[in-house]
Amino acid sequence: MKRAGWYVIAGAAAGFAGVLGVLVSGAAAPGALAQLKPGGTGASAAPSAAAPARTSGPVRKVTGTVEQYGYGELSVTVTVRGNHIADVSVPLLRTAEPYSQQLAQQVIPMLRAEVLTAHSAQIHGVSGATYTSAAYAQSIQSALDKLHAS
Amino acid sequence: MTTHAEPVMGTVFSFTAVHGELPEATVRAALAAACRILHRCDAVFSTWDTGSPVSRFRRGEAALGRMPPEFAEVLAECHAAKTASAGWFDPWAMPGGFDPTGLVKGWAVARALAELRGAGLAGGLVNGGGDVAVFGSPADGDRWRVGIRHPWRADALACVVEIDAAVATSGPYERGAHLIDPATGRPAGRAASATVTGPSLALADALATGVAVGGDEALAVVAGLDGYAGYLIRPDGSEADTGGIAFVH
Repeated sequence: MKRAGWYVIAGAAAGFAGVLGVLVSGAAAPGALAQLKPGGTGASAAPSAAAPARTSGPVRKVTGTVEQYGYGELSVTVTVRGNHIADVSVPLLRTAEPYSQQLAQQVIPMLRAEVLTAHSAQIHGVSGATYTSAAYAQSIQSALDKLHAS
Repeated sequence: MTTHAEPVMGTVFSFTAVHGELPEATVRAALAAACRILHRCDAVFSTWDTGSPVSRFRRGEAALGRMPPEFAEVLAECHAAKTASAGWFDPWAMPGGFDPTGLVKGWAVARALAELRGAGLAGGLVNGGGDVAVFGSPADGDRWRVGIRHPWRADALACVVEIDAAVATSGPYERGAHLIDPATGRPAGRAASATVTGPSLALADALATGVAVGGDEALAVVAGLDGYAGYLIRPDGSEADTGGIAFVH
């Protein structure tokens, strides 16, 4: 197996690492969250996104103070293992109107997805709803197959 | 380690073969045999091919006694899965007649994997379009690590799990047509993504389909099954699991 190739996938998340670094350094960073608001607003909202209880190993949780971020208030909990982020969740989110709530809610699963994209270097396969042959070409599984084959 | 990607059954099957002591040629032969099994499954169970045995059965043109032997096996698995899922997986309640699609791919993966195991490989992974079965170890006693696709992002993962046997995921984000509520005959909408782990991929596949249809109610059914565990992402992005899944941070 050619190890070097794995980092191609990891590179995609590099842009978010800085933002996550801000989050982990202490308090919640609502400014950083605002930057990450997805362009489209039609996507499904994702409140709290509290992670299910996951077993394994010693982890450190940092919960930021409640922050006013202009459209309401929120606090962010970041779960850290060693020097990397394992999870991001929002224990508190209050907004003045539903639209802001919808926008803010979308950000959290996106952040966690980026973290896990970075970790995809360590996986052997991807489980998901059945993809078509065309969709396979865009999938992480396809990227893994190419990296192994090279 | 040898990998292979095979387009079949309307998707792509990915193989990872851990050689152990086996010579390259033996591994290649095992992979070729596994692929032949998949193409045979496709020929029997394709609901797209109007001339396939399953299509003829759906139209009432073929008696059960005249069907290929694989068909009876899948039928028995479907009965067992319908019972185990408390009816949330029901291939007989599909519009257009009996449709084992929610189970047959997982079943086919398991058959292909059995071919690799039988050839004496040290380990193997077969991923049938998102349904994954493994045996042995990827390297040095490690466990196989599988990412669960993020339901709203094709290029990201919702989480990573470790498995020793099988994991299947179902959801409406790729081809949701088989996610029909048996009670109403309509698309369900209670899950963004449903994952089930367990010893049999055929049953895990069917149960994942069931949880994708039934949401929390079906997840509770999985919680009661020995050896199986479930992980649900609801349409609002919140999550639930039964316990028993080895999530990796």
